[in-house]
Amino acid sequence: MSETKALRSVPRAAASPGASPLLELRDVRAAHEGITVLHGVSLSVAAGQVVALLGPNGAGKTTTLRVAAGAHPLESGRLLLGGRDVTGANPRDLARAGVCLIPEGRGIFPNLSVRDNLLMMMFTGRTRKQVEEVAFARFPDLARFASRAAGTLSGGEQQMLALARGLATDPAVLLLDELSMGLAPLVVGRLYEQVAEIARGGVAVLIVEQFATAVLGLADHASVLVRGRIAWQGRPDGELRTELSALYLGSST
Amino acid sequence: MTSSTETRADRFVREIAELRIPDPAAGRPRLWLRLGVALMVLGIVLGVTAYLVSHRTTSPLVQGDATTIGLGGVTVSVCGAALFVRYSLTAFLRFWMARQSYDLTLLGDRLLDSGAARDLAGTDQPNR
Repeated sequence: MSETKALRSVPRAAASPGASPLLELRDVRAAHEGITVLHGVSLSVAAGQVVALLGPNGAGKTTTLRVAAGAHPLESGRLLLGGRDVTGANPRDLARAGVCLIPEGRGIFPNLSVRDNLLMMMFTGRTRKQVEEVAFARFPDLARFASRAAGTLSGGEQQMLALARGLATDPAVLLLDELSMGLAPLVVGRLYEQVAEIARGGVAVLIVEQFATAVLGLADHASVLVRGRIAWQGRPDGELRTELSALYLGSST
Repeated sequence: MTSSTETRADRFVREIAELRIPDPAAGRPRLWLRLGVALMVLGIVLGVTAYLVSHRTTSPLVQGDATTIGLGGVTVSVCGAALFVRYSLTAFLRFWMARQSYDLTLLGDRLLDSGAARDLAGTDQPNR
């Protein structure tokens, strides 16, 4: 469990207390093919804050992230960005403004080279030089693999590439879905250090994880989603760690 | 121009504030269109019902009711047809107006071009 301890020591982001949230979901209800999967979810993330959204499989975490990115329609409730109601806005416009969703499975193009994957992010209006500078400064290893096909990279390197692509868009709100999936704890620790560094730069980070222990060392605030409802939220301290299994299993302690 | 001290969060808030968000009411014409069709169908159903009710009775009172139902059916159908025509024609008329506007602009450009060409060629007859 030494890796877990190492993860817990990741320096937290310096979120300014009481700062107005960059991202806010208010009483959001959303459905998949007519079945409601989110039942009044409310959460907020301020600039520089890392919020972890935890929950068992099928709880609605990914849907929540997609709602936050404007990529999933709402049945009711509101999506606010920078204090403005943007419910129904085009997700492309939100992405251009600075909302970046890194989906589960990384969303990279395996047949393209690392460099070509990065250059995909020029849609935001950034130049090739700017994109490469941002990505390679944060992840120097990627510069060495720039000409390699992205599909030949290891899982951790692919996740680095996904993060680098996200950073290349100069995000203000970063939405991460299952960043640690399929990765060794040491690799996850390194990625979380990068996420903390990104948040310290003033980016609002909402991170979804199914396996909670690791991400609790990184987050300023945690929400536990169970069957489409927020079952617990607060600071990720001892209370959450003791209650987590009960929340996941759906029984009270 | 933006201030150099503007943070990323400030810039994000500004860009989001400037964002043009489509009106959710923009999708309503389709609902009105469907309502129009539904009302037309309802009108026909009411008409048939009125016919059947009046046909199966010799009571003037019941026939009077059937007449009322039939007139109600006509009213509902007319309202439905009006809604349907209004919202189904909107898209077509928008396209037609855009086409008209384009044709007029093209015609204007052509007339201006031919006028300019004639001036340059000096083909105007001098006044005697």
